[in-house]
Amino acid sequence: MMIRFLSVSALVPAGVALLYGEPPWPFLAAAGAAFFGGLGLERLGARSATVGFREGYLVVALVWLLAAIFGAIPYLLSGDSQLSSPVDALFESMSGFSTTGASILTNVEAVDHSLLFWRQFTQWVGGMGIIVLALAVLPRLRVGGRQLLESETPGPETDPLSERIRATARRLWLLYVGLTLALGVILLLFGVAGIDHRIGLFEAVSIALATLPTGGFMPDSHSLVDFAAATQWVVVAFMVLAGINFALVYRALIRRRWRGAAADQELRLYLGILIVASVALIAELWTEGLATGEAAIRNGVFQVVSITTTTGFASIDYTSWTTFALMLIVGLMFVGGSAGSTGSSVKVVRHLLLGRSLRRDLRQTLHPTEVMPIRLNNLVVQEKTLRAVTSFVLLYLGLFVLGAGIIAVDTAIQGPSLAPFDAIAAAATTLGNVGPGTGLAGPLGSFAGFPAISKLTMAGLMWMGRLEVIPVVVLMTRHYWRVR
Amino acid sequence: MYPAPAVKIFVIGAGQVGSTIVDALHGEHDVTVLDLDPARLSVVGQRFDVATVEANGASRRALADAGVRDADLVIACTSRDETNLVAGTFARLEAPRATTVIRASNVEYIELWRQGQLDLDFVVSSEVETAHAIARVIGVSAAVQSDLFANGQVQIVEYDVTDGASSTLVGRPLRDAGIPPDSRVVSIIRGASMTIPRGDDTILPGDRIVVIGSPAAATAWGDLLAPWEDDVRDVVIFGAGKVGTAIARELLAQDIGVRLIEEDRDRARAVAEAFPAARVYNVSGLDPAFLAGEQIGHAQAAVFAMRDDAKNHYAATLARIHGVAFTIAIVHDAVSRQVYEHAGVDVQVDPRQVTAEEIVRFAHDPRTQQVVMLENDRFEVLDITTSPTSEYVGLRFRDMPIRGALIGAIVRDGQAIFPRSDDVLVAGDRVIVFTSSDRVSDVERVL
Repeated sequence: MMIRFLSVSALVPAGVALLYGEPPWPFLAAAGAAFFGGLGLERLGARSATVGFREGYLVVALVWLLAAIFGAIPYLLSGDSQLSSPVDALFESMSGFSTTGASILTNVEAVDHSLLFWRQFTQWVGGMGIIVLALAVLPRLRVGGRQLLESETPGPETDPLSERIRATARRLWLLYVGLTLALGVILLLFGVAGIDHRIGLFEAVSIALATLPTGGFMPDSHSLVDFAAATQWVVVAFMVLAGINFALVYRALIRRRWRGAAADQELRLYLGILIVASVALIAELWTEGLATGEAAIRNGVFQVVSITTTTGFASIDYTSWTTFALMLIVGLMFVGGSAGSTGSSVKVVRHLLLGRSLRRDLRQTLHPTEVMPIRLNNLVVQEKTLRAVTSFVLLYLGLFVLGAGIIAVDTAIQGPSLAPFDAIAAAATTLGNVGPGTGLAGPLGSFAGFPAISKLTMAGLMWMGRLEVIPVVVLMTRHYWRVR
Repeated sequence: MYPAPAVKIFVIGAGQVGSTIVDALHGEHDVTVLDLDPARLSVVGQRFDVATVEANGASRRALADAGVRDADLVIACTSRDETNLVAGTFARLEAPRATTVIRASNVEYIELWRQGQLDLDFVVSSEVETAHAIARVIGVSAAVQSDLFANGQVQIVEYDVTDGASSTLVGRPLRDAGIPPDSRVVSIIRGASMTIPRGDDTILPGDRIVVIGSPAAATAWGDLLAPWEDDVRDVVIFGAGKVGTAIARELLAQDIGVRLIEEDRDRARAVAEAFPAARVYNVSGLDPAFLAGEQIGHAQAAVFAMRDDAKNHYAATLARIHGVAFTIAIVHDAVSRQVYEHAGVDVQVDPRQVTAEEIVRFAHDPRTQQVVMLENDRFEVLDITTSPTSEYVGLRFRDMPIRGALIGAIVRDGQAIFPRSDDVLVAGDRVIVFTSSDRVSDVERVL
């Protein structure tokens, strides 16, 4: 059903293509392929009677993989020379659906509007998928740290679970659509009012479609560098919003329960990290003479927010910054958004729980017999959950090291020659679904120069990173495929 | 004269709580005891002048046959909550006018009753009463027992006088001693004898004294008697069962730091989850390495609330060796009180006794608002409203004859007054009176 939904979404850029007088048939072909592919899978699924816990991992992993494959069809069929290789098309498509924003395009402006729109749109659809994933699927597969809507649904459960999830998903989707619309309209007004002469309808829509899913694609090879300061500040605000647990945003904005939402410990840490990292980056930029005054503050905050929320927009090309600034940026790639947001990477709640767990371990060396339950928002966190968090973080770091290793070896053999840091940044940015790396893959650069194996590795990292690692890794264990 | 009204009381359950209640009430009242166990009934029947009925208190017919219809007060105090609940409910149906009191340990029943969902006059919990008793002792330094009267305006405290007590107080005639204002020494217990002191009596080290005064005066007394003690910041509770957790809850509510020691792993985890402010150790309290490592000896007080009295005894002794200054042990078996005392445990709290005390309040004269038993029920403190016909009304305090009782404080128009010798008692005053247990009826009659 998810894949058939995709076929419908491929019709949207077909409309855009008609609007711009470009050929719509690549999208129609993708829509057709997705429709029949989805139908075939459903037939297949109907034969095996039960889709249980075990099959859940497979379904989740396959949905994103197939979405990326079907989503690559328009790129391939468009005949655009930058996207003609299947590996490149898959990279770009996976980057879209995983809301990463890493691109192999070098000359974005040369690509058709409809194709660029498809690129933005895949991110937005990916973001929608993430909301369902975080809300309904991952908690049931025992991945993801916590139930998204724990306090939204009090009392005895009278509705069937699927009913409630559908209702909550609908509410959060409406919020997602509403926020996207709000950002689009604000930006459009900026354009109309002449605050930012670079914004037209296409730019406003594109930015909005890439901000809320914390994607980061831009139909402009200079990302947001050339846009007005006011536009950048508005995008900062919406990136921050997109990195917050959507259930909290819903509670605060729609239910008007500000206080309860503001007391959330994950939110506080998230905002705390953003503030501290921004101050550190601004200080570095200012003292090193890379920027001063308003520009230092704006670019410092923008880059910190963009990287931490795993969006990946750029207000400035940071590739030439100091080592400290670059290390800060790559470090922030491991922070991520809040659980229940469209942000990816490790996520703030896991850092929070891991930190508390480590602090407890230290205290317990002094007080070996003391029982110290760990709490989050005054609720006791089960030891099982803490173990899951620890293994997630170790697995995540393991994949990062492995990915960086493959990229380093591959580029050493195939070229181009990378700075030592670049392979590390490339693995971190794709696994964390951030977008830009360092060096040639910097915010204004492109991943086009990487060899094919590296690109496939990175596509794989995006895939795994977006699905919280475990559903994909589980499929790779022999245990999973063994019958009982 | 004001005759003590003859009250007809039904006590369901002749266990330790039941017999303690009967002990306190049988002299003045018409008491009937119900129990299923003939052996226990015959013990109660031989010791006290009461009627005994061998019947199931949770049977409505049995209650009716035993004549519960005429009762003024029904007390259901078996060790089983459900039996007490059913007995109380049936008693209410059979005798709608009677006051019904039940004993319950399940927190749910107590909550329900507080919300007014149980048609009973009072639900008394051993755990909660024990916790109150211990918190009162710990809250005041050097105190053996402490209770509040008149919405907390009047405090009655029993102190042990030690060699470290201030010299302005000890060894001087009371009229010259620097007694804190708004307080009065109502009793000096020296060995087996008790005196109600006059101005020329003196307090000596080794005495146990009973003081009635304002809470501020009680604190001042604590400072005089134990000048070395600071405020209590660290109390260690051994055993996190029902009683232990009830004590922890009470102490935490008073901002006293609490450490709990529980041997059972799951129980320790559950308690640690329920009490974020307390520290919980999953270890045996009998482990010297643990006591040394966690510096249990630095605790200002330790409470021993494990289920096994022998373990409490051993752990308390061990804790004293490690330097714990003040130890309190829970008495599960009546014999343990003496064992604890012999072992040097400072305070013994018997949950059954405190429960009985709480229940006995309802059996006294309806004018009596509160009762506290001291020294294993040898003495009581009563809170009585004076009758207009009392011979004491209109007398100055210095002219009142002393007949084995002493008025420590009066409450007039809701305000506590600590009377001086020139003050006059007025009809309608509530008086806080100290007396020996065998004279309670006399005191109630005369006031």
